[in-house]
Amino acid sequence: MPVLHVFVKQVPDISTLEYDPSTLAPRFEKATPRLGEADLVAFEAAIRIKESWGGEVVVLSAGDGVNELVLREALAMGADRCFYVSDQRLAGADSWVTANVLSRLSRKVGKADLLLCGEASTDSGNHQLGPRLSEALNIPCVTHVVGIELSEGLVRVRRILEDRTETFETGSPLIATASLELASPRLPSLLMIKAASKKPIIKVNLAELGLDEGLLEPLVERLSVRVFKTARRNIVLEGGPLECAEKLVESLVKEGVFKA
Amino acid sequence: MHVLILARELDELLELRAVADQIGALEVETLVPKAMTNGEDLASLGLRRAYFLEGFDDISPDGLKKIVIDLVGKVEPSLVLGPSKKVFRELFARVAHNLASPCLTDCTSLEFSGGRLVVERPFLGGGYVERLAVKKLPAFLTIQMTGRRPKIRERNGPEKVELSKPSSEDFSLRRVSVERVERGGADLAKARIVVSVGRGFKRREDLKLAEELAQLLGADLACSRPLASDLGWMPEEKHVGLSGKWISPQLYIAIGISGQVQHMVGVRNSRIIVAVNNDTSAPIHREADYSVPLDLYQFIPALITVLREKGVRAT
Ligand SMILES: Cc1cc2nc3c(=O)[nH]c(=O)nc-3n(C[C@H](O)[C@H](O)[C@H](O)COP(=O)(O)OP(=O)(O)OC[C@H]3O[C@@H](n4cnc5c(N)ncnc54)[C@H](O)[C@@H]3O)c2cc1C
Ligand SMILES: Nc1ncnc2c1ncn2[C@@H]1O[C@H](COP(=O)(O)O)[C@@H](O)[C@H]1O
Repeated sequence: MPVLHVFVKQVPDISTLEYDPSTLAPRFEKATPRLGEADLVAFEAAIRIKESWGGEVVVLSAGDGVNELVLREALAMGADRCFYVSDQRLAGADSWVTANVLSRLSRKVGKADLLLCGEASTDSGNHQLGPRLSEALNIPCVTHVVGIELSEGLVRVRRILEDRTETFETGSPLIATASLELASPRLPSLLMIKAASKKPIIKVNLAELGLDEGLLEPLVERLSVRVFKTARRNIVLEGGPLECAEKLVESLVKEGVFKA
Repeated sequence: MHVLILARELDELLELRAVADQIGALEVETLVPKAMTNGEDLASLGLRRAYFLEGFDDISPDGLKKIVIDLVGKVEPSLVLGPSKKVFRELFARVAHNLASPCLTDCTSLEFSGGRLVVERPFLGGGYVERLAVKKLPAFLTIQMTGRRPKIRERNGPEKVELSKPSSEDFSLRRVSVERVERGGADLAKARIVVSVGRGFKRREDLKLAEELAQLLGADLACSRPLASDLGWMPEEKHVGLSGKWISPQLYIAIGISGQVQHMVGVRNSRIIVAVNNDTSAPIHREADYSVPLDLYQFIPALITVLREKGVRAT
């Protein structure tokens, strides 16, 4: 029965995120934490595999100030166990450090047949964790997966690129990064939320992973984050369809993009 | 500064060559598919050397990774640039990890500041921009394509080197099938007017409305991500936004698109944005120059009628 490791990251809920009007920087401290969109898709795919094949779904996460309540959500959706690292040193982690920590954590937890993460994290959108884990763990990786099929000893995955669709076959283990279209994450039921309170969430100390200093030293440093502001005119056209159409055409002629 | 450019298409190479110029690259080499050997265009690009790879698209991800690691070892660039496309993001992240190097994806600007390479890229879905300093070279950067073009130089063509496919491919990952998607129309990055469709369209057939409007205006058709990736009503390469194309037309007409930040980041450089959406609280109305708060099924036919009656054309 397959063992699945799913990597989920705590991110600020973008819809509740505000920015400081003077510095234009996001106010992370005021935002509600949640699990990343593509991460939840990867997670849903894992749960479905477990539902038809049995096995175990283990959730892995790393960061600074990881909130266990948020990880409980994943347990409520059907994960069996959760392991996480929460350490101040990871506040400035880049993709290099994150992949080093999570690959080591995955190894410590045990062998997995399928390792799943999102194609891109909701906040940083690096598109890197899966491919970097592939190097760190020496396991093949397919990105942007929209379909996963298991059969005895074989995994078949489909992915969509800008100009083609590809299907790959391989034995396990395999790393796959989930495209948003792979699955629609379920909402946990009350019963599942209750049941989840007894499932184990295990905090692993960063030191326990035995990572050399060089593997924890970011190669990229964030200098600043500022909101992207655009000024638009926000002219609302009023009236029925024909009236609006006439007004719009008239305006666009004046703007010089149309000529009558 | 020594730069290695990886590209699959001429447009990508041209744009990355322009980026290399911007940061004052002195020496530029490139790795491109063999099919680009005959391109006369390469001659004027001021390239020192061009490596041509046979079967670029057929090589396994592992094979491609090996080739690039070897080439980086030989060329010893400070920077490796590629287009922000799925294959390159994946390839760069893998090669970078293998070489304990930094990788940054979807970069929108590059500059040297205080002796360090400083990069900007979208953050939090594109609602924010993050500024990052690269602490180690070589750095692997995928660049968001926006249609930049190099100033043509008077230089001799590059020295040409042919690379062959790796002899022993690692078959642990077998590509069992490939379906190519047909290329539809011109490059959106160059479009002057773009008519873009979203989930406000209820049926695939209804896209005819937008097609008719586009035809009348000589516009290109684009879409939101769900119309391509989820529904498959439009080709993948036509979706605009964070994970798709970044465009900057004179006029962007968004029809039945809600305007989530991941979509808007790809169209914010448009000169004029028109939003057709009957939900007045849809976020697109806050980022539009002209808002039409009407049902698209009534408004688009009316717009077509008016354009026809008045004989209006795009300038
Ligand atoms: C990591 C990540 C990356 C993403 N990248 C992209 C990207 O690159 N590009 C992208 O587009 N999205 C992207 N998305 C998805 C994005 O968040 C939105 O979900 C998506 O843009 C919504 O598409 P839509 O506006 O077509 O659909 P919806 O959000 O469903 O909006 C449909 C709109 O149509 C309107 N409508 C309905 N009926 C009518 C009618 N009869 N007349 C007029 N209006 C009508 C509705 O009011 C609604 O506002 C990404 C998401 C994530 C998490
Ligand atoms: N700190 C983290 N902890 C757990 N999973 C992560 C972390 N960072 C990234 N991931 C996973 O990797 C995917 C890609 O992230 P990224 O490379 O940052 O775009 C995300 O969708 C998550 O599934």
